[in-house]
Amino acid sequence: MSYFEFLKDKIPQIILLLFAMLTIEMFLLVYSNGIFIKLYVPVILLITLSISSFIEYFRKKEFYSRIQDTLNDLEEKFYISELIEEPNFIEGRLLKEILLQTNKSMVDNVNKYKYIQEDYKEYIEMWIHEIKIPIATTKLIIENNKSKVTKSIEEEIEKIENYTEQALYYARSSTVEKDYIIRKCSLKDIVQECIRKNKTILIQEKIVVDTHDIDIQVNTDSKWIIFILNQIIQNSIKYRKIGEFSQIEIYSSRGKENVILSIKDNGMGIEKAEVDRVFEKGFTGTNGRILDKKSTGIGLYLCKKLCDKLGIAIELNSVKNEGTQVNLIFPNGSYTSMN
Amino acid sequence: MMQKILIVEDDKKLRDELEIFLNNNGYYACSLKNFNNTIKDILQINPDLMLLDINLPQIDGNCICKEIRKKSTLPIIIITSRDNERDELLIMNYGADNYVTKPFNLQILLAKISALLRRTNIESGQDLIRTKKFVLNISKSVIEKDNKKVELTKNELRILRYLIEHKDRIVSRDEIMDYLWDSNSFVDDNTLTVNITRLRNKLAELNLKELVETKRGQGYIFRGEVE
Repeated sequence: MSYFEFLKDKIPQIILLLFAMLTIEMFLLVYSNGIFIKLYVPVILLITLSISSFIEYFRKKEFYSRIQDTLNDLEEKFYISELIEEPNFIEGRLLKEILLQTNKSMVDNVNKYKYIQEDYKEYIEMWIHEIKIPIATTKLIIENNKSKVTKSIEEEIEKIENYTEQALYYARSSTVEKDYIIRKCSLKDIVQECIRKNKTILIQEKIVVDTHDIDIQVNTDSKWIIFILNQIIQNSIKYRKIGEFSQIEIYSSRGKENVILSIKDNGMGIEKAEVDRVFEKGFTGTNGRILDKKSTGIGLYLCKKLCDKLGIAIELNSVKNEGTQVNLIFPNGSYTSMN
Repeated sequence: MMQKILIVEDDKKLRDELEIFLNNNGYYACSLKNFNNTIKDILQINPDLMLLDINLPQIDGNCICKEIRKKSTLPIIIITSRDNERDELLIMNYGADNYVTKPFNLQILLAKISALLRRTNIESGQDLIRTKKFVLNISKSVIEKDNKKVELTKNELRILRYLIEHKDRIVSRDEIMDYLWDSNSFVDDNTLTVNITRLRNKLAELNLKELVETKRGQGYIFRGEVE
């Protein structure tokens, strides 16, 4: 705010003042003959009014530029009302009061949605824990009554189980920090568990699984990694080349400051133009639109989101018709090691 | 002698199916029908192993675990539907030996049960499967017949054991593969064929070749009698 801008804002008052001065001067010219009075009145008026406008200008300027500066420094701008110093003029006090009130109402409103969301998340988690019981029972019934029909139901139940799992992790994904414990985990155990989870379809479709060099420890939360890895393996299964020899190779390698876990398949691969978009939410791409693949565009999006929260890098390389390789890069440097 | 497994689970249907499943797999399973005197009942039944649901209506599973531990070394496997690391750590702290999460992988459950029982059995020397014609020593992975011994690889041992445990019926190749995968041996079709051929050759060394019979297009069957 410059002084000129400040004055521009006061144009109506200035015009009125000038008008007043003009009429006073006219009266003086008619009724008074003292030159001193004729000069003194307009000059003293101009001087006092200018001084008072200067005082007002500097007071406001100081107040607003301090707010501006604080605002620029603030990451969360809505805290500004808390940081305004008690102003020494009425407009400032009004402004502060207004900001405080709007802010409070905004915070209340945001909290309301926060609680609703938290509540919903808790409900989803509870629901998922509940639904696991009928799933478990169904699997037992299937096991106790083995036949072609129940085998087929088992495949479907496994799909339900996977979708349920995805929903659980989706619900948790926005608040990962509350739900994880970083421990030393064996990549081997993690990989083996994921393969076992998918064994029915892997065996049935005669997909060869080759694991090697996975006897490495990393510091992470195994539950989350199992979920992520499971999504990747399921993609490899889903987008294999039907009717051809399918293979999934899982191995790790130790970098200088990291451990890389690679999952490589010889499936249908991804169009070059689409590779960069696979982690976008809802992105299904050409492969996803192929009949009966039923891609949701959630799997890899969720993987990326969870990896970000866990501090793991995820990359995907693919060549159309040749296969896809996903790398999970765990930081394992001297800095992060717990010893 | 069949080993007794007690199921402490409040979902009736799940409990019943689990009972059938364990009975079908060579155990004697029984379960608690009400949870008014849970701890007393458990100690009275005195099973060889207990499957315990962590969420019970009247009493907390962790509490049962702690109380039982004060009085007995009974192996306990917890069944839970919570599956984050924190709950896992808690469970182990209450003195359970192992846990499975719902919906559990049934072969894993069996593997955990048999591993736990074996650990307690080794102490009492029951780690052998005795058939009429030979003895299978599981912890040493050896077939013993008269004074002759043949060593088996991990997979061969698993296959033979599975066939023995499911004797009197045809076991399909997929079923064996399923079982091997659950033991973290992700064999493909060819490897399975090789493993079975080697197992047969080893049995042939002891003149026991006829014990594992091939049913073309269906699978294999164990033709022996378990004592």
